[in-house]
Amino acid sequence: MGKPKHYRPPGKKKEGNAARYVTRSQAIKLLQVSLSDFRKLCIHKGVFPREPKKKVKGNHHTYYHLKDVMYILHDPLLEKFREIRAYKKKIKKAKAKKNDELARLLLSRAPSYKLDMVIRDRYPTFVDALRDLDDPLTMVHLFAMLPAIDRLKIEVKCIHNCRRLCHEWQAYISRTHKLRKVFVAVKGIYYQAEVEGQKITWLAPHARQQVLTDDVDFNVMLTFLEFYEALLGFVNFQLYHSMNVKYPPILDPRLEALAADLYALSRYFDANYKTSVQEPQVAGSSISEQEQEESNLRLAQLQRQLPANEPGALMHLVQDAASETEEDEATRDCKNLFQNMKIFLSREVPRESLLFVIPAFGGIVSWEGDGAPFAEADDSITHQIVDRPTQGHVYLSREYVQPQWIYDSVNARIILPTEAYMVGRDPPPHLSPFVDNEAEGYVPDYAKTIKELQAAAKNDVQPFPGMGNDVLDNSQNMLAEGYISRTEAMEAAEKKQKMMLLEKQYHDDLKMELQDVSSINKQSSAEDMESKEELLRDVQQSAMDSEDLSRLMMSRKKRGLAKAIEMNKQRKKDHVEKLKERKRNIEAAQKSEKKHKKA
Amino acid sequence: MRRTSPRSTTPSLKTMNHQESQRPEKVNPLEMRDLGFIESGNNDGLDDNHDQDELADSSQSRQAVDESDSSEDEVAPRNTIGDVPLEWYKDEKHIGYDIAGKKIKKKERQDKLDSFLASADDSKNWRKIYDEYNDEEVELTKEETKLIRRLLKGKAPHAEFDPYAPYVDWFKWDDAKHPLSNAPEPKRRFIPSKWESKKVVEYVRAIRKGLIKFDKPKEEPRLYLLWGDDSSSADRTKHLAYIPPPKPKLPGHEESYNPSLEYLPTQEEINTYQLMYEEDRPKFIPKRFTSFRSIPAYENAIKDSFERCLDLYLCPRVRKKRINIDPESLKPKLPSRKDLRPYPVTCYLEYRGHEGAVLSISVEPSGQWIASGSKDGTVRIWEVETGRCLRVWELGEAVQHVAWNPLLELPILAVSVGSDVLILNTGFGNEEQQRKAKELLQIGTPTSSDDSDDISSVLSWLQDEKHDCIRLRHFRTVSSIEWHRKGDYLSTVMPAGESRAILIHQLSKKLTQRLPFKHHGLPVSSVFHPTRSIFFVATKKNVRVYDLLRQKLIKKLETQLREVSSIAVHPAGDNVIVGSKEGKLCWFDMDLSSKPYKTLKCHPKDITNVAFHRSYPLFASCSDDCTAYVFHGMVYADLNQNPLIVPLEILRGHTSSDGRGVIDCKFHPRQPWLFTAGADSSIKLYCH
Repeated sequence: MGKPKHYRPPGKKKEGNAARYVTRSQAIKLLQVSLSDFRKLCIHKGVFPREPKKKVKGNHHTYYHLKDVMYILHDPLLEKFREIRAYKKKIKKAKAKKNDELARLLLSRAPSYKLDMVIRDRYPTFVDALRDLDDPLTMVHLFAMLPAIDRLKIEVKCIHNCRRLCHEWQAYISRTHKLRKVFVAVKGIYYQAEVEGQKITWLAPHARQQVLTDDVDFNVMLTFLEFYEALLGFVNFQLYHSMNVKYPPILDPRLEALAADLYALSRYFDANYKTSVQEPQVAGSSISEQEQEESNLRLAQLQRQLPANEPGALMHLVQDAASETEEDEATRDCKNLFQNMKIFLSREVPRESLLFVIPAFGGIVSWEGDGAPFAEADDSITHQIVDRPTQGHVYLSREYVQPQWIYDSVNARIILPTEAYMVGRDPPPHLSPFVDNEAEGYVPDYAKTIKELQAAAKNDVQPFPGMGNDVLDNSQNMLAEGYISRTEAMEAAEKKQKMMLLEKQYHDDLKMELQDVSSINKQSSAEDMESKEELLRDVQQSAMDSEDLSRLMMSRKKRGLAKAIEMNKQRKKDHVEKLKERKRNIEAAQKSEKKHKKA
Repeated sequence: MRRTSPRSTTPSLKTMNHQESQRPEKVNPLEMRDLGFIESGNNDGLDDNHDQDELADSSQSRQAVDESDSSEDEVAPRNTIGDVPLEWYKDEKHIGYDIAGKKIKKKERQDKLDSFLASADDSKNWRKIYDEYNDEEVELTKEETKLIRRLLKGKAPHAEFDPYAPYVDWFKWDDAKHPLSNAPEPKRRFIPSKWESKKVVEYVRAIRKGLIKFDKPKEEPRLYLLWGDDSSSADRTKHLAYIPPPKPKLPGHEESYNPSLEYLPTQEEINTYQLMYEEDRPKFIPKRFTSFRSIPAYENAIKDSFERCLDLYLCPRVRKKRINIDPESLKPKLPSRKDLRPYPVTCYLEYRGHEGAVLSISVEPSGQWIASGSKDGTVRIWEVETGRCLRVWELGEAVQHVAWNPLLELPILAVSVGSDVLILNTGFGNEEQQRKAKELLQIGTPTSSDDSDDISSVLSWLQDEKHDCIRLRHFRTVSSIEWHRKGDYLSTVMPAGESRAILIHQLSKKLTQRLPFKHHGLPVSSVFHPTRSIFFVATKKNVRVYDLLRQKLIKKLETQLREVSSIAVHPAGDNVIVGSKEGKLCWFDMDLSSKPYKTLKCHPKDITNVAFHRSYPLFASCSDDCTAYVFHGMVYADLNQNPLIVPLEILRGHTSSDGRGVIDCKFHPRQPWLFTAGADSSIKLYCH
């Protein structure tokens, strides 16, 4: 038996990685908790394993930094968890001994813990919390869509809380016009908002019955959810506080019952705004409880008194604009997108998403159902969102469009023409706003048309219908005009370079010929061509050679890196090529189909 | 009679008896025996009228027990004789006395005929039974017949009676073993309980301590302004640097519910996914839905979320720099190639004439001539400037190596052919030089070296008449020849020669000696130091450096290569380059270390030869991949400055023939020109 790999003589102190990192089982032993408690603590405290340079115990362990473990050890949460464990044991014991009274007494005194200090510890500033808000929002939105299941310990209370938090968050974003991008994917609807300079992206699943799978440990998810709920609660509090709105909001129970929470919240904002204008000292803590209750009641009533048709809200918006001079350009853009529009949602349209998105971009929206601000018969409605194969009764004063029109307009920041989105038509492709088309190297057709439309909207100039076919010469001009994308320019430049090379060779050849005319007989043209080709190949060869030579002197590490970069580039290129090929095939198929039809 | 003392029995016993008697004529024989046991007293003469007896008995007992459910005996029996056998009154005209003391008369007996007639007349006669005890005829009612029928069937007489009714225990058995107890009330019932008072004290204490609270504690608001209004004044915890979780990848066009058509994979592509390994398969296959209402729920929503959770708390997080580097910036800063001119760039001349692969070339020290040895068995000498072939020797066997003598005034050429080394007189130079050369190539006393030890057995100096030269006959094939700078000594390497693999010959004395060192590994090549009496032996793995004067090993250079193929020494003598069969080129700075200063992986195939330029800071390597690389290799006089190596040019032009490309390369001694010998039987000259 040889010595173990990292042998340390008995008296010697541990140092380096051996002292700094512990395996998971060591950490559990050190903390004196069960594995499940350790997992919970890790989730709450945001502790994750780390990768030591030298893995003292072997490759198959997970390592935690000792400081991380100490961080858990010094948290009061650990003591609380132990208390809960002891408490559970006590109840079990009391029940086993038929001491019902004690059990009852114990049940009424369950220890509970709060996560506020943990959150404060993990996110010292508010911006930190906002930065990490992607995962909480996605998770909370998902759970808001889940059914409550006893078997999996998903409680009704928890689902309701998730729904409430979602609506509060959406109401804030919508109210402050901070939504930037929306993307309807197969997985759900992606939203991106910009709050205090942080881009927050979250995914809300489609409003359908969710598919429950067995291969998921809901305990882990629920632990995460517990933390996320607390975090989102505090974040919402902070955001509402920044708007001078009281949190948690008190909603009109009638609207709440009609599941129009978002609308209720928006009305709450209006009402709150009024009261805060009228009596700014309301927030003072001097009021007794009863009074507060009274004021709550009045608030709810006030909401009901607000005129149903939103001019009041609009007035506020105007007032707000006067006061909020510091808001940035993007926000102003977003606020004015649907400014003079009144949009009505048909019954089959996903209401929650549109109720969130349309007001976020300055539109007024209503829906079919009780509690709606205005009815379908309203004459001032400009657009009606419809998602059905045909529309029976048509008001001539409004346009009937599919929901995708809203999302595409939002992403393009212009009101897109509605012809393509009419009822019964296949809408144009819905493109992701998160992709930088130029960096990707491939621009879908519809992105180009949108770009043209945007440019047109900006300059109020109609773009030329057909781009010149001779891209080569025009590329410079077009670049200057700003219509053409970077990739196209690059392609054109490449072409140009190639042409120039050929030209140069041709000139060279000419010169040589001129010089040698006297001495050498003219070779046959075929040979000439051959030599030209060879020359071209030589030039390419020399370029490759210089590449090779420069690679030769790199260190091995850098060479690997360069290779990886190159491979990545190649992969991207391949992907783009594939897309282009598919497009060509599709176009060819369409053409042949047309011909068939004509014939 | 039957029951001797019916009144004295306890009520319970009575009921029991009653129950017993109530029981119908059970067909069960066991039951019968039971009955027999109870009525054991006088069972004699009861054969007759058992039925009636039973009836009477039951009526009597029913009288005693109030709670009897029977309603049959409301009238008292007429007979007052009591419980005596009727036989005793057989002949009397009365049956007992009534309450007034008058005889109760029996009825007139009807004769058989009358009774028969009566029965025949009366249709209801079958219902009539003569009660002998009361001396009367009883007509059975419908209910009674039913009852009898049930009895005959062996059922309980009353239809509504449930024989299997659940047992109801009406007695409260609190603290009592028996239904009744006459224990006196205990004292504890009358004094205040000690334990109760203790319990009360306990509760009182609990309440005082606050363990029991009657009003619910006021709930603190769970949410409050956590970060305060001024978020700038945050105190950083003295903890490890927080690594924020990486954000999930944002969706691209292909994830849209209605992507562009070109993002949808065709059916064939989807089919090919099935052939892939599971890990390689795309996680997400784009789909297209033409309308909003047709989007279904995403089936992996929960799973994706769960996996994200697992990633967040189980994956080690490492802060990695996003490599957004321009690949150009990775290239080391090297001086421009333009500044390092001149170096060979283009093929200027081609020497043709050989019919086989040219295995070796050597340039005359003046740079006027070049000699080449080929596989076709010829050695040719060419004029460098014009490419004219001046002389040809037909040697009959593949020429492995050719080497000009480094002395200008001694125009001789060493050529290895199989196991022989020929030292040819080229016939150049003026007459004086020719004379000298001829003199040198005469073996005067062939026996002088023969008497020395074992060398004679492996080597012999012979005079070759045909080519007018010296033939050194070795015992194994000679792979390389190397001249000493003074032109008198030359070393030959026989890779298969084991301990006598490397021999050093002295031309002037026609002497041969073995290298006086132990050999390690298979020798590949050997070189003399350009200025000092140092000798380099390259074996397959490493290079050994010997001092020939002191007869000592100076250094061992570890190449860390798989198989060394060639070696060249810098004209200053401190730097060595080694080429290997895996296509790597090692530069050794002997002052620096015994490890390579730089290893260049330039060729994809074997390096066949490496060469230094004598005066320009150039070196070259040639390989079987039909290319030769030219490098700038500057060695500075300042010992602190490391040599500068810059790759300059890749020379192409040779074509491959049976797997071999460029076999040899040599620099021109004065000009920055490179000669390369190819397997395509041509020699090329590359000029600047």
